[in-house]
Amino acid sequence: MRPRKLVFSPARRPILVVLLLVTTLMGASCAGQTTPSSGQPVQGGIATFAEPANTTPNYIFPFMSTAYFSVTTVSDLQYLMYRPLYWFGDNGQPVLNDRLSLADYPTFSDANRTVTVKLRDYAWSDNTKVTADSVVFWINMMKAEKKNWAVYVPGGIPDDIDSVTADSPNQVTFHLNQSYSAKWFVYNELAQITPLPHAWDRTATGTSDCEHDVGDCTAVYDYLTAAAKTINSYATNPLWQVVDGPWRLKSFNADGNISFIPNKSYSGPNKPHLAQFNEAPFSDNAAEYNVLRSGDNSIQVGYLPPENAPAKPDDQAVGHNPLENNYTLDRWYSFAVNYFVLNSHNPKVGPIFQQQYFRQALASLVDQKSIIKAAVHGYGATTNGPVPTTPSNPYASDMTEPNPFTYDPERASRLLADHGWSTPRDGVGTCERPGTGPNQCGPGVTAGTQLDFQMMYATGTPQINLAMQQLQSSATKVGIKLDLQGAPFNTVIGTAIPCDAGKPDCNWEMGNWGAGWVFAPDFYPTGEQIFGTGAGSNQGSFSDPKLDQLIAVTQHSDSPEALQAYAQYGSQTVPVIWGPNYDYAETEIANNLKGVTPQSPYLNITPEDWYYVR
Amino acid sequence: MTGFITRRLLQSIVVVLLVTVIVFILLHLLPGGPARAQLGPRATPAAIATFNHQMGYDRSLPVQYWHWLTELVTGNLGFSVKFNQSVASLIGERLPKTLVLTVLSTLFALVVAIPLGMVQAVKRNHAADYAITFWAFVFYATPPFFLGVVLIVVFSVYLPILPAEAPQSSSLGVILSQPGGLILPVLTLALLTIAQFSRYMRSSVIENLTEDYVRTARAKGAGERSVLIRHVLRNSLIPVATLLGLSLPAIFSGALITEAVFNFPGMGQLFWTAAQTQDYPIMLGITVLVGVATVIGSLLADLAYAVLDPRVRYA
Repeated sequence: MRPRKLVFSPARRPILVVLLLVTTLMGASCAGQTTPSSGQPVQGGIATFAEPANTTPNYIFPFMSTAYFSVTTVSDLQYLMYRPLYWFGDNGQPVLNDRLSLADYPTFSDANRTVTVKLRDYAWSDNTKVTADSVVFWINMMKAEKKNWAVYVPGGIPDDIDSVTADSPNQVTFHLNQSYSAKWFVYNELAQITPLPHAWDRTATGTSDCEHDVGDCTAVYDYLTAAAKTINSYATNPLWQVVDGPWRLKSFNADGNISFIPNKSYSGPNKPHLAQFNEAPFSDNAAEYNVLRSGDNSIQVGYLPPENAPAKPDDQAVGHNPLENNYTLDRWYSFAVNYFVLNSHNPKVGPIFQQQYFRQALASLVDQKSIIKAAVHGYGATTNGPVPTTPSNPYASDMTEPNPFTYDPERASRLLADHGWSTPRDGVGTCERPGTGPNQCGPGVTAGTQLDFQMMYATGTPQINLAMQQLQSSATKVGIKLDLQGAPFNTVIGTAIPCDAGKPDCNWEMGNWGAGWVFAPDFYPTGEQIFGTGAGSNQGSFSDPKLDQLIAVTQHSDSPEALQAYAQYGSQTVPVIWGPNYDYAETEIANNLKGVTPQSPYLNITPEDWYYVR
Repeated sequence: MTGFITRRLLQSIVVVLLVTVIVFILLHLLPGGPARAQLGPRATPAAIATFNHQMGYDRSLPVQYWHWLTELVTGNLGFSVKFNQSVASLIGERLPKTLVLTVLSTLFALVVAIPLGMVQAVKRNHAADYAITFWAFVFYATPPFFLGVVLIVVFSVYLPILPAEAPQSSSLGVILSQPGGLILPVLTLALLTIAQFSRYMRSSVIENLTEDYVRTARAKGAGERSVLIRHVLRNSLIPVATLLGLSLPAIFSGALITEAVFNFPGMGQLFWTAAQTQDYPIMLGITVLVGVATVIGSLLADLAYAVLDPRVRYA
């Protein structure tokens, strides 16, 4: 049989050309594989770290407003170059790291009203020293521009400092407005200080003197802020090349592709082993995972998306790593508590939320362990109260562990019934015994009030969806009806805000954005920002005078019992409804890269400790 | 023709303005507001008030719109806090990347789809037609995220011969110097477009093959190849020209899913991130860009008719 004549031979030529081109390019782009390691440390090499999905560092000036404050900006950019006065996170523990701090632990005197900080011998890369003036520069900037400091809380630093003096080039003294707990002041106040270089004390017209005169600071702030908003000049602007950390920028791309090279004049104890450290942005978890499993060795420290994480057996730290040929799996805990909030000021249901027994009943309906197992394959820890218990830390104690309100629908039913509520299974409970007595519904709750609530939660993450469905299912068993309303994360955090009863924005009832609170840079978990009456991040407007008093004690007393008392009472009074604290990430570390673990529960990274082995 | 173009351009300005008004109003109806969305759950009421004041969100809507419009006239599209960049600069960085992806895939799709559609028409109801139709339907029905992942699994994981992500650079030169990284994302977009274009092309060629002018050409002794290439092809391209014109907004607005799968931050991702964080300046900036691309695309399609079909005249 004669071959059929092809009518379109001229038109086929482009197709053939394209196919040939594709084939050629395929060959040209063949990727490498991770080199197996035999354990000999080597100096040099390049390591690339995968940034969290859709999140990239975007601001270089450490004195920044809330708009720019994020874990990635602080931990993955600023701290690599501009070291904070005190470093937190040591050997995987949520504690102060003396070795990496720029100063000795401060000396407290005058009944803890005077704090003396002695600086260690650190230098800026322009050959000047990190001095007391570098610290005062920051404090003066705080005084002048506190409304532009991301974590400013009225009454906190710098309001609680009456004066600060540079006693000598390496000693600075703070005079406080009252006596504070040494630990609280170091962990939550001094922790916010990042010494600034003299080279930054300038404006567009020349040098300035913010180091000594608060009046000069606004102009300096404006100048540095303007420079920080020219994002594509980060790697070239000489200002930002003056660093005291182990790294300086080699290149910076606004998409999040960042390269650091070692700061040759770094005077700290852990000088970089790598010749270069890169950060790579990813649009989503799946894109990052695709790169990891392709085995092209372009990422050395990445992460396993929750949906791809292997089920974790109860007796093991992690499950079977699907990328074990190239990577080692490690859990990255964050020092955090997870919870959802109840709007105590809601005119309709607020009076119910103000009842402790109701909050305890609702907490008893959250099956944290099952959610962790089902939703994130075991990679999480229960939240038992206002002080995180995972990773193990010196703040949690037997008094906060175990959670007094673990999953127990019967307890929930009993608590409601004991306080005058009907608890029909699959129905809606009503208040049958109104009043303020011990076995009545409580103040403000009228007869016939129904246990019928709207729960707004952030959609987009399977674990939150599943947690909400579990709670809804458990709640129906005791007569609580939850109307689940999924919404984007930003809608939830924009709606679940502290509010005044009667105002239009106070009609929300329950809100769950799924992330709770990470204790950084308030490293000491005293909770004044989230549970204190009137606190800016007390979204549910919770108020309990005794809890306020216990929080105040933690701020003024160094006794470990103060934090324990707060934690214990917070666990009992349930200011928010605790939920599972999911791991920050399941980190995949190239098998030939060492020094990455243990990872900091404060989410800092220290690539200067990383090194290759062969 | 000049009068036609002038009238269309004037109409376009009105259309784009109306679109921006509608989008502006819709954006401000979104619950939550940009301050919380961009500052996060830790933001204090004071921080939110400061942010709203700095961004001008505490002013009335008409004042905000007028301010945005007057800035737009001077070329200032605003500043994105989330990205810490001016919107013009962001678009300037992202648009070339998107154009690389969308233009390459569209060109590739045209080069493949036009001959495929003609083959199908000529071989109508034969094995080749059925086979191409089958694959066209398969690719047409396949969501791009799935197709992208399948390509990655095959070419990056099992046959590790292509990278799983697109080139990572903001420099167009660097991106183009790494063509291997562009193959899979371009292919993902192109396969879907080929399926679409080839179906239109097939129908159009079949229709034209029955026209009198084809019979006349054959009667005058023109060869089959000549009839197809010189006569049928040109007339059959009219629906493809329409499709291309309507594709222009998509070319400028990016391919969100393909960009996400291949980690290629272009216009689609920019708009998606802006929508998530209620970044008004970016959303408005892209709206203007896509609005302009839409009216220009439809204008170009109209002009293409005149070029392709001598019977069409604009006055």
